[in-house]
Amino acid sequence: MSVLRFDSRQCEKTRRQLDAYLSNELLVETTGEVSKHLESCEACSRDLESRMRVRNALRRAVAAQLPPESFREALHRRLKRAQPGLWGSAHVPMWTMALAALALVVLAGVAGQQWMRFERGRQMVSGVLALGASDHLHCAIKGHNYSEIANPPQRLREKLGPQYAGVLDVVEKKLPGFQVLEAHICSVPGSPRKYVHFIARGRRTILSVIFTRRDGESLPAGRFLVAGASGGVDLYKAQVEGFTVAGFETNEYFGFVVSDLGQKEVLEIATALGPTLRNALESSVGQSLEPAGPRCSLSVALLRPARQDASE
Amino acid sequence: MPHLADLYRTARLLAHNLPEAEDLVQEVYLEALKSFHRFEPGTNCRAWLFKIMFHRLHHLRLRWLKASREEAFTSQNEADDLMAPPSVPQEIRDEDILAALDKVPLAFREVVLMADMEEFSYKEIAGALRIPVGTVMSRLSRGRKLLREELASVAQSYGIKPCTKDAGKGELA
Repeated sequence: MSVLRFDSRQCEKTRRQLDAYLSNELLVETTGEVSKHLESCEACSRDLESRMRVRNALRRAVAAQLPPESFREALHRRLKRAQPGLWGSAHVPMWTMALAALALVVLAGVAGQQWMRFERGRQMVSGVLALGASDHLHCAIKGHNYSEIANPPQRLREKLGPQYAGVLDVVEKKLPGFQVLEAHICSVPGSPRKYVHFIARGRRTILSVIFTRRDGESLPAGRFLVAGASGGVDLYKAQVEGFTVAGFETNEYFGFVVSDLGQKEVLEIATALGPTLRNALESSVGQSLEPAGPRCSLSVALLRPARQDASE
Repeated sequence: MPHLADLYRTARLLAHNLPEAEDLVQEVYLEALKSFHRFEPGTNCRAWLFKIMFHRLHHLRLRWLKASREEAFTSQNEADDLMAPPSVPQEIRDEDILAALDKVPLAFREVVLMADMEEFSYKEIAGALRIPVGTVMSRLSRGRKLLREELASVAQSYGIKPCTKDAGKGELA
């Protein structure tokens, strides 16, 4: 095996950090240093690309190792047998059981209607917040439609088009500790809905800031709110497909912050981002998410081939 | 069944064979059921289940007696990182990477799977495997490199020669 003679000590340093860089375990400052070096060093970029190719291939191959249905069923049976009997071993007088059953019937009648109303609201919240989660999952996670090396801000503004270019500054300012790698307009296969999507990398996570037009839909108020942001933006939260989603609505848009961080962290980010983002979006009321010119068309078109590549 | 697919695929790639992997996953859920009172609500359930699985695996490994092979790899130093990166094929087939992964010693394979497949943080991996974070980092680095080397040898077996361009700017000696 040949030994590399590095022209630059920076190459040696970068290669020692590539594993942690790939795992998003570097400090933001160090990540910035590595990204900067990668932009200018073809050899190190190729090394990173080769490592990413192996990781993506590994994920694809291992993800196909699904448990067969027969195993799931066998496991269910075994767990059921292992569970101690909850009722069989208890010595409870019959009259107590009957009274409890009666109380349950009465309570069920009263609570039933309340529950139905609550359940409808909960489903509405989950349904809307799932929009953000699905775009994060398809575009950022499965499609990996971002470069490990952040695009220059000017390039990102071009991808967003003139009507949303200004929002980039808001997102960058309100995401301390994150680096915005990508921004574009995209869609999820099978849906005509368009999303304005910012992908940012923080320590150990990829986070998406997404917004999309409400199209007449609305989030229910009251008990479904989880926090009132300082600027008067009401926040909602949900766990969807293993991601934490915090959402809010403005006159025209739904906004989402999605990542695999904990609920507290995601809500903090959404609280900081919500009011400013709402103001920035309200100033673009009347604008369409449809690409306004050839630049935007290009950004939408770019997403699709990338997604196909990732699924190959 | 929460996280069954994640545990199953990891067990498949760490146990000796399919029956052993399925036994292992069953034991994890039985143990979790038995010790559910120890689970702290609000903490990471997936990490907890993996921790149980690696605890069981540790006991299994004492029976497997494969430690000698692992130690041989562990003793290699970091100078390896300065070697030219192995030439990885452009197209990697599922069966090739699974075969290559199978050749990576268990101690490294489990860390690679936890980090690259399950996307646990170094700290979570260290907690599940009961090893220091520094050991996680060195095993991950070594494991990924071994995987790339195995894939490179697969490429060579297909007649694909190492690509000297990989090192760039004529840096190869």
